Amino acid sequence: MLRFTKYFSGALAVALGAGLAGCVEPYAPDVISAPNRYLVVDGYINLQGVSTIRLSRTKNLNEPVPPPAETRATGYIQDDAGARYPLYEVGGGTYASAFLTLSPARQYQLHLHTAAGRDYDSDPVAAKPAPPIDNLTWDRDYAGVHVYVSAHDATNATRYYRWTYAETWEFRSAYPSAYVYNRTTGVMEPRTENINLCWVSANSTAIPLSKTTALSQDVVANFPVISLPENSVKLSIGYSVLVQQYAQTPEEYAYWEKLKKNTEEIGTLFDPLPTQLTGNVHCLQDAAEPVLGYVGAGAVTERRLFIDNHSLPSSIRFQTGYETCAPPDKVLLSDVRSYFTNPTSLPLYALYDPGSGAVIGYAGGSAGCTDCRLRGTNVKPSFWP
Amino acid sequence: MKHFYALILLVLLGASSFRSYGQAPEPLVSGNFQGLSVEAFARRLEAQTPYRFFFDSVAVRGVLLTVQAQGQPLASVLQQALAPTALRFAIDEEHNVFITAGTAVSTALLESYFRGAPGAAAAGNAPAAGPVGPAAPAAARGTDSPARLYEIGAAGAAGTGRATLAGHVREAKSGEPVLGAAVYIESPAIGASTDQFGYYALTLPVGPHVLNIRGIGIKNTQRRIVLHADGQLDVEVAEDITALKEVLIEAEKDKNVAGMQMGLERLDLKTLRQVPTAFGETDVLRVVMLLPGVKTIGEGSTGISVRGGATDQNLILFNDATIYNPSHLFGFFSAFNSDLLKSVELYKSAIPARYGGRISSVLDIATRDGNNKQFAGTGGIGLLTSHLTLEGPLAKGKSSFLVGGRTSYSDWLLHTLPSQALRQSAASFYDLSAHITHEFNEHNTVYATGYLSHDRFKLATDTAYAYDNRAASLKWKHIFGNKLYGVLTGTGSEYQYRITNDKNPVNASALTFGIGQVGLQADFSYFHNATHTVEFGGSTLRYRTAPGTLAPLGSASLVVPDALPREQAQESALYASDQINLTPRLAVYLGLRYSLYQALGPRDVAQYAPGEPPSPGGARDTLHYGAGAAVATYHGPEYRVSVRYALADNASVKASYNRTRQYISQLSNTATVSPTDIWKLSDAYIRPQVGDQVALGYYHNFKHNTIETSVETYYKAVHDFVDYKSGASLLLNHHLETDLVNAEGKAYGVELSIKKITGKINGWLSYTYARSLVRVNPGTPADRINGGEYYPSNFDKPHDVTLVGNYRFSKRFSTSLNFNYSTGRPITLPLATYVIGGAERVYYSDRNAYRVPDFYRVDLGLNIEGGHKVKRLARSSWTVSVYNLTGRKNPYSVYFKSVDGKISGYQLSLFGQPIPSVTYNFKF
Repeated sequence: MLRFTKYFSGALAVALGAGLAGCVEPYAPDVISAPNRYLVVDGYINLQGVSTIRLSRTKNLNEPVPPPAETRATGYIQDDAGARYPLYEVGGGTYASAFLTLSPARQYQLHLHTAAGRDYDSDPVAAKPAPPIDNLTWDRDYAGVHVYVSAHDATNATRYYRWTYAETWEFRSAYPSAYVYNRTTGVMEPRTENINLCWVSANSTAIPLSKTTALSQDVVANFPVISLPENSVKLSIGYSVLVQQYAQTPEEYAYWEKLKKNTEEIGTLFDPLPTQLTGNVHCLQDAAEPVLGYVGAGAVTERRLFIDNHSLPSSIRFQTGYETCAPPDKVLLSDVRSYFTNPTSLPLYALYDPGSGAVIGYAGGSAGCTDCRLRGTNVKPSFWP
Repeated sequence: MKHFYALILLVLLGASSFRSYGQAPEPLVSGNFQGLSVEAFARRLEAQTPYRFFFDSVAVRGVLLTVQAQGQPLASVLQQALAPTALRFAIDEEHNVFITAGTAVSTALLESYFRGAPGAAAAGNAPAAGPVGPAAPAAARGTDSPARLYEIGAAGAAGTGRATLAGHVREAKSGEPVLGAAVYIESPAIGASTDQFGYYALTLPVGPHVLNIRGIGIKNTQRRIVLHADGQLDVEVAEDITALKEVLIEAEKDKNVAGMQMGLERLDLKTLRQVPTAFGETDVLRVVMLLPGVKTIGEGSTGISVRGGATDQNLILFNDATIYNPSHLFGFFSAFNSDLLKSVELYKSAIPARYGGRISSVLDIATRDGNNKQFAGTGGIGLLTSHLTLEGPLAKGKSSFLVGGRTSYSDWLLHTLPSQALRQSAASFYDLSAHITHEFNEHNTVYATGYLSHDRFKLATDTAYAYDNRAASLKWKHIFGNKLYGVLTGTGSEYQYRITNDKNPVNASALTFGIGQVGLQADFSYFHNATHTVEFGGSTLRYRTAPGTLAPLGSASLVVPDALPREQAQESALYASDQINLTPRLAVYLGLRYSLYQALGPRDVAQYAPGEPPSPGGARDTLHYGAGAAVATYHGPEYRVSVRYALADNASVKASYNRTRQYISQLSNTATVSPTDIWKLSDAYIRPQVGDQVALGYYHNFKHNTIETSVETYYKAVHDFVDYKSGASLLLNHHLETDLVNAEGKAYGVELSIKKITGKINGWLSYTYARSLVRVNPGTPADRINGGEYYPSNFDKPHDVTLVGNYRFSKRFSTSLNFNYSTGRPITLPLATYVIGGAERVYYSDRNAYRVPDFYRVDLGLNIEGGHKVKRLARSSWTVSVYNLTGRKNPYSVYFKSVDGKISGYQLSLFGQPIPSVTYNFKF
């Protein structure tokens, strides 16, 4: 569809390019604090599996702590026939149902009872199982690497799509380490565990959305879900993404669209006016209490894509995330003890005397530049080829 | 002491154009002037006397003057000094001394005039003080001459009572009408202003008079007449060249105090030119934004709010044709080529009855008439744009043309940029205007104007945008007699945009929107007598809109064609007004406009449950209206009343009340005006907007009318303007009424302004305190904004200080300085953050509950004029300017955005560093 905000940010780009010195700077307002901490309901009712609901509270803008979790609440999912499926607290404000198989023909709602004694209901919503993802492809242009999703619904029933995704990528630390310094014995031992090659995963934070209501068929053709700079560290060795597809009701789509507009598509010349968005959850004791979040119901479909760095031009200089690493230190044998006793310094490789070939010391790097486990895991994910 | 009294006398006498000029005793000069250059001589005399000297430094080069004077009158000293040379001099009543080679200039003054006995048909045309040798015959331009005695009407007709004198004031060189010039006699004080056609009408006692003509950009001119009966007198006046700038600026004199109008701002080309702008391009709307009472949301936008009104509440007329989108290139430029413009008038209150259709203001932009005597051209070359205007006679003295064009080379600039994203972009615009004037005879004149503007841009995205304005007007002016003339005007305007997206063949589509209007209006002015000036007329206007069409592009596109049904409506009005000069001190303007609006079929109108607001899915039925059937009818009176009471010759109080009605609204759910906003006609659900404004003002002029001060205060209420529910979707919405709410607005404020209009330092300083508030309080609580309470509108910037100053170092160099401070505009800020979907999100405060930091900007410009010889192949000038001299990063907006799942606050400034530019202008 026509995406205005793209144009508007482009307008700014042209303004910049044409010699207007448009600029964006960080802005910290005087302390703004909300009068209350409102309940936030994040999750959806899964027709095929475990439904997970996270309850938290809003926090003030400048508070560096994560939003406080809402614990010790109880709740259940209820269908329009009255059947109830309880939720169990799994800790940290997260509540889960048992593995459920729910009928897509029914309507569902969530009921919550907080420790403070207040009751909340979400509006009953129609269940919308998502059609399968037909294809997940990628290409590369001047703006970077893009991942496209294609799907269709022959019954024309879906129309409103939303995606989430989980990215995983392989990366290397700046320096491989062949040795471990045994601090108790003071002996340099060969390292058996690879701490140079790791994998890291991240969940989507953006909200990719698309609707096909303007099309004659319910077809999503090559919708760009993810765009990466072509030199992104994510693409430097191997990249994989699991895209999950949700079907939505028009109301749920409108909610996510507003949420996206409020927090993503702004900062342009022609900003949409922000909206005081809440969702479909209401407090039964006080209808005026804002409750944030939209609880939909559906079944997710998913598909995975791999991008190998061999399929990208070798001329690309990938970011590594280790650009600021200093060159390794040369640590002479006499200094080994004092240098490597500090756990933030790791031995890399042995240094030899060019003449005699004897070990005269070890190269030393900081753990942050050497141990990839500080940023990910060195356990290869099961799905990795 | 004597000098002092003379000076006082001068100030007092000169306080009003309608006051007589006294013959102040000529100052006496003493001194021993030995072998002085003319410059030095003039400097010394200027030091001794209040007189100013004008001469061509080339013509007087090498001339040395010697004279001894002991308390002698100035004229006699000059005569002695110049007698041995080839130089001649003349003195006018403005205390200007003109020294010329060969022949003295005519200062258009008569000895008889100074004796205070006009009427004697003296043959001589001697200037104030007899120069050596005869003055140049001012009759060089045909029979038009200040010396000639014009007999109006058949002599011997009723020798008593009054008669009406009417005619046109035109510029001698180009034949252009002079508008806004004062035409008056001094005893008794009777005067009138020329209208947009340069037409004036005066009812005078029969007998001899001296008719004075003063105006912007013309030399002060006089005609001696003997009025026997009703008659015509056309006056050609000389253009005021730069050397006489002093007089030029003095022209508007006491309009501020003596004029009927309040809340009127008039800008001429000279003011427009000297205000520095971001790209060196003279820009009408940028200067309008500096006027008191005018606010914008930000720097890169041409959407203006006048006295707290919305951006769609301004009627922008280009030679009477409505312009829907007055901006180019995302709003960085206004869509008018300044070379063609004659004047710009902004009515903020007391809108005359002949205007209607918009609530807040009327911005009347008038082009010049082409030069009907000779071919001429002007042009300019700037950093981003260039423009060229040509004009000339079609039939000499009878008809003329004026054609102007402007184009940008931003496209070319973009392609040279290093960024590939920008190289893939395109942005260009052009505009063309043409204006033809033809005078069939002295009673019938026809004016035709055409206007076209086009913008096209494609940004690094896959979407291309294009929009067009087209407008045309045809005016026929007929003079029925001295007391009555009428103008029949046909206008047509069109605005459309097209957004195409063809990157993905499956989604390739084109979205178009269009609005057009065709109108006919008849306006009559009737000069009944000195007490009553009556205007009346009527107008009718047909709107047609194509509110939105989505069409697939290419065979692979799956986009379903979707079109909102076309809409049409008719707006008609009748009006009459009478300006009554009850006493010389008290004048009243009574006006009434009655407008009638009908939304016309064919149309299908969804019916909602009675008493319930339109809601999605709430339609119970659809009612079909046939072609031409009235879907909705609205009508009502619009009162236009104002009063002026002169407290003294240089002070007056004015008050006005006016009601305005508006039947069309611009829909935009972005904070600023964007090119893709749509216009919506009132219909069964969208009621017309109605505005009421009362205003009160005090006007006081100081120092010989050279300093104008005013205080205006107003209160304004607007009913039923359109606002949107949160997250409204405005494009291709088949049930738009379900997303719109009617809002109430109120605005009030005080505007203080000091204007110095003459002298080396000129400009204005204004302070405005203004509030603009909105309330959205519909029946359903969910649709209420901020709980149904009043909240600040996007334009609520209470404090505003603007200084527009110009300092003239010499005739060729001048600098301009703008200073602008205002309270930051209101914004909605996040109150709290929370996590949904793994990313941090924000919960917003009430709408517009906070403000961006204050706005502050200084611009500096330097204007360098080429030589001022009148006879030269081309006159040229350079403008060097620096916009935002201090480089302050004024926030255009402040926003909180989720980047990689974290909420961060940012402020966006558009012109965050000084922007220098150079423009070369030429005239031939």
